[in-house]
Amino acid sequence: MSDLALRNLVKSYDKTQVLHSINLDVADGEFVVFVGPSGCGKSTTLRMIAGLEEVTSGEIEIGGRVVNNLEPKERDIAMVFQNYAIYPHMTVRKNIGFGLRSSKLSKPEKEARIDEVAGILGMTDLLARKPAQLSGGQRQRVAIGRAMVRDPAVFLFDEPLSNLDAQLRTQMRLEIKKLHRRVGNTIIFVTHDQVEAMTMADRIVIMKDGHIQQVGTPDEVYHKPANTFVAQFIGAPSMNLLEGTVEDGAVSLTGGGSVPLTQVKVAEGRAVKLGVRPEDLHLATEGDTLFEGEVSVAEPLGAETLLYVTLAGREIIATGPGRNPPKAGDHVRLSADPAQMHVFDAETGAVIA
Amino acid sequence: MSFYRALSIRQKRTLWAWGFLAVPIIFYVVIRFYPTGNAMVLSFQSWNLLGDREWAGLANYRVLFSDPVFWQVFWNTFKYLLIGTPISLVISFFIAYHLDKVRFAHGFLRALYFLPFMTSAVAMAWVWRWFYQGVPIGLFNNMLASVGIGQVEFLNSTTNALPSILAPAVWAGLGFQVIIFMAGLRAIPRSYYEAAEIDGVSKWTVLWEITIPLLRPTIVFIVVFSSIGFLRIFDHVFNMTTNNPGGPLNSTKPLVLMIYETAFRSFDMGYAAAQTVVLFLILLVVSLIQLRILRDS
Repeated sequence: MSDLALRNLVKSYDKTQVLHSINLDVADGEFVVFVGPSGCGKSTTLRMIAGLEEVTSGEIEIGGRVVNNLEPKERDIAMVFQNYAIYPHMTVRKNIGFGLRSSKLSKPEKEARIDEVAGILGMTDLLARKPAQLSGGQRQRVAIGRAMVRDPAVFLFDEPLSNLDAQLRTQMRLEIKKLHRRVGNTIIFVTHDQVEAMTMADRIVIMKDGHIQQVGTPDEVYHKPANTFVAQFIGAPSMNLLEGTVEDGAVSLTGGGSVPLTQVKVAEGRAVKLGVRPEDLHLATEGDTLFEGEVSVAEPLGAETLLYVTLAGREIIATGPGRNPPKAGDHVRLSADPAQMHVFDAETGAVIA
Repeated sequence: MSFYRALSIRQKRTLWAWGFLAVPIIFYVVIRFYPTGNAMVLSFQSWNLLGDREWAGLANYRVLFSDPVFWQVFWNTFKYLLIGTPISLVISFFIAYHLDKVRFAHGFLRALYFLPFMTSAVAMAWVWRWFYQGVPIGLFNNMLASVGIGQVEFLNSTTNALPSILAPAVWAGLGFQVIIFMAGLRAIPRSYYEAAEIDGVSKWTVLWEITIPLLRPTIVFIVVFSSIGFLRIFDHVFNMTTNNPGGPLNSTKPLVLMIYETAFRSFDMGYAAAQTVVLFLILLVVSLIQLRILRDS
């Protein structure tokens, strides 16, 4: 059993509280991604799980035992660092083997284990090299290898892809996901990149200012965001938020326009924010126009075109076709399926469902 | 001006670069290289500072190598190097390694260690000389006497004098080496240590397999620098043995002091130049050997 649980986890530095009562259960073999803007507490949480930071209050459980006062090495975890933390003066073999230094295996067993891990990561040919002779992606793999060789209950990844270029990042993302499927250990992965979170996670934990905003599968956090922060953080480009009040079963938007409210019942006169994802907002065909405005910028992406439309003094993002899209300065009519819209409380930002 | 305009960007840059470089180059040629070359020529001549320089061939070197005092001095110089460098390296690393972990009064402690480096070697030599005096003057012998241990002849014994002079020399260089070591320690990324912590290796392993290998460039620098310093030791010896420079019985005399005496007491400039050339060659060979051994193996 290697499930992980955080119970009322709090971290303070002197008088500044940076984590406010974090509660989370991670199942055995689950791939959980912590995502949020910098300073949200995701790395601190990870370092607390690793045992590199002390717990101010609350409990961390790994495999059913409280590990608050255990040294990192006693916690049955391994960690991959953002800068890889592989030693420049050691060969790849020694670097990977470093994870086994404190293990009780015999020397031939250790060597066999290193070879096995190198085989899984496809770096058998590189074992004799030094890190300076490796590419960024290969160094990354060495760091993963050093973690894997110990076969820990929980893998911790601290923004491991942020030092790689865009193409390599996509590739490593895929490799890590495949690796997870193959070895099946529990993974906690920290990133600030919502695309990484969406593509890799079984479940995403979205954090902000030391609070968990939402925990859910990629599908849930994308399609059922718990609040405006999650709604705007997940998905690129960000969800449009339009302010308005509920009148006669419709949202009357500030600055003009009205959108029928079909998906939820909201009390008359309540101030709300209406969320529409850019991909749900497209050029209107006959009769179903919701908004009208002028295109200020058109960004062609090939398959589609992002349209920045000025609408009652504010800008919203819509999606146009890849072929023959409207150009800057064109007057466009936009429509969206009301069922695909999200209604949030204007004050708290929480979803109204 | 039209000549300048006709030049390519690259040629213009080269022109400017050499223009600026010319100043230090001329300075070095006049102040350093010419006297160095001159000294080398002088080492094959005989000159008493006033008369004409006369060609002497290898006579100076022949005299030098058959002089028992030279071999005594040669050995002394290497004793300063062979005892001083490792001791100062170990002590300064030990201090830096622990000072790096101290948060309390960190700046003050660092300043304290650096202070001897800024102090005049002459003043320090005389203070230590006082430390080494016999009862009732000297500090060390008074301390020994108070716990019932007999007198130690620090500076008047042929066996104790050299280590006694070396001690303040090591102490004086410590501050500089500590600062360099601490800069080296700071340059090692924290995550290396955190990764080792998670891998659960012992502090000893971390020290020997991570910290020290990663400090290699720093160690090379300090070893070469302090070796050159010890091979050129002069002021501590001269000031602590003024009434009998390099004594007792030449047991503390380093090469530089011998050169000084040959040149400015005996006024045998050619002979002094020959000794200087030998010192230069020793410095060169020792530095090259150290760089060869300590660089990437």
